[in-house]
Amino acid sequence: MTALSKIQRQAAAVCLAVISFFLLSSFQVFAADKKTIGVIMTGDIPYYSKMHKAFTARLSKEGYGDAQVLLQRPYPDQVSWSNAARKLIAVDVDIIVTYGASVTLAAINERTSIPIVYAGVYNPDAIGITGKNTTGSISKVPTSSLIRYLKGITNISNLGVLYSDIEKESIRQAKDLEDISKDMGFTIVKINIRRAEDVRKIKAAGKLDALFLTCSASVNMSLNAILEIARAGKLPTASSMKGENNSGVVITLSASPEEQGELAAERVVKILRGAHPNALPPASGKNIELIFNLKENMEMGFKIPMGLVTEATKIIQ
Amino acid sequence: MFNEMKFILNFILLFFVLLKPLEVFAEEEILLGLIPEQNIFKQMDRYKPLAAYLSEKAGVNVRLTILSRYGDIVERFISRGLDGAFFDSLTGMMAITRLGVEPAARHTNPDGKATVRSYIFVRADSKINSVKDMKGKKVAFVDRATATGYLFAIAFLRENGVSDIDRYFNEYYFTGSHDSAIYAVLDNRADIGSAQDTIFNMLASRDITIKKELRVIAQSEELPETTLCLRKGIPSQIKKRLTGILLGMNEDPAGREILKKFGALKFVEAEVKDFNPVFSLARRAQINIREYKGTR
Repeated sequence: MTALSKIQRQAAAVCLAVISFFLLSSFQVFAADKKTIGVIMTGDIPYYSKMHKAFTARLSKEGYGDAQVLLQRPYPDQVSWSNAARKLIAVDVDIIVTYGASVTLAAINERTSIPIVYAGVYNPDAIGITGKNTTGSISKVPTSSLIRYLKGITNISNLGVLYSDIEKESIRQAKDLEDISKDMGFTIVKINIRRAEDVRKIKAAGKLDALFLTCSASVNMSLNAILEIARAGKLPTASSMKGENNSGVVITLSASPEEQGELAAERVVKILRGAHPNALPPASGKNIELIFNLKENMEMGFKIPMGLVTEATKIIQ
Repeated sequence: MFNEMKFILNFILLFFVLLKPLEVFAEEEILLGLIPEQNIFKQMDRYKPLAAYLSEKAGVNVRLTILSRYGDIVERFISRGLDGAFFDSLTGMMAITRLGVEPAARHTNPDGKATVRSYIFVRADSKINSVKDMKGKKVAFVDRATATGYLFAIAFLRENGVSDIDRYFNEYYFTGSHDSAIYAVLDNRADIGSAQDTIFNMLASRDITIKKELRVIAQSEELPETTLCLRKGIPSQIKKRLTGILLGMNEDPAGREILKKFGALKFVEAEVKDFNPVFSLARRAQINIREYKGTR
């Protein structure tokens, strides 16, 4: 009886060990399969929110609906961007996804080996976002086209350019406008918007004929206050970042945020399946939207530019 | 008394008899169609002064109507009861072949040529340099029934090994006018565009940035400029009168002013043989012009 019990005990121990082994190994497999994706989205901007929504939707569609998405929403400043990137590196996410150039550069500066996939970056080559374990989607639209359409609404002698001097891509876009202004015969008045209270500088900038909003998180976070000033001063506005449907910006020429999010998700999926980021060339957005806010234009009393009405992919009435 | 009454009645009768042809003449109207070469607002602005000049000189009301799109233009020529139309080279050739319309006059451009070319163009910063680079891209054509905004591009692609554009491109679409195809590429809404050189050069001359931002990668041979073709059976005196007024415009100060606004030096006589290069282009594109509708 005692001998039998000993055999039984040994058999039970072996069974337990086998079961434990299987349970443990299956847990390891599960743990290895469940991916963690860190996302950095600076500012509370509709353009990035739409992008993120499309990104997660596409991820689910590709079979990664159970991936853990750690979303960081730092305030648009250098320290907050770096901290957000460091947190994601500390928890050792599988991939870091960044919306916009500033957070992409902040993540790259942390010199991590974690792949970085960006979306909504206007001109990555121009600001040094190339290679370095990164890939993503480019949202470049020709700034000169926006000016061309803006000139169809009103004569422009002085163009107010709203930018942020801590956002490299916004500085770059302001520089592009400076170059274009020489060919198109107007002068630009650069207005640095880092914080909400900086919008007061618009009124103090002297005589302006229109406002151009660069692709800056700080500028776009203050959109409502900017538009209030624009309406009061009868200044038509142009932006390269699509906002809410009735944001009040008169002309928007923007890469579709939904497509940007989807392109980023496609790259994330390929990396999760074993591809190296450097083997995935960045993709340019194909879906470029030209939105004309006719309602806002008419309320400000400007003429209806027939060329723009014809070209617009969407008219807000 | 009776004689006086008779005289008055005869006078009234004579008055109406004499007036009758004048009434017919006054009611006479010539309806000319315009193709949507540029957006319809610009197109109307361009042609209205010309129509007013023709009306005044010919003593007939010359009315314009925009054919909202190129496709089915031959069918709509009949259904709208047009007396003529300013056709581009492909629609002109289609109308000559199927309706027997007669070319009357076409204008010369500021460079003195009464011809146009088709341009295939990309943004200057694009990496597209050849047909090979176009694979998987997005193309903006003008319309299937344009030589400069479609036919040449198809011939060019065929000659470079692309026979199925549905498979070769990620997407292609039709903008409806030449300027829209140009703006689509400028805005990056399309990677490649095909449009008429005169519209391209006109926009580029007005805005230096357009010249800087676009790059022409292929161009066609010379094709006839927009030609006024009149319907078969139009009274020969009307045809002569209209053609004569157009051909003499550059001799008249008021006519020269209108030509200047129109963007032309003068009008020259047009003939069916001017359209021979379009026949050759259609053959290269493997399009049978007798059956081609210009729609899908």
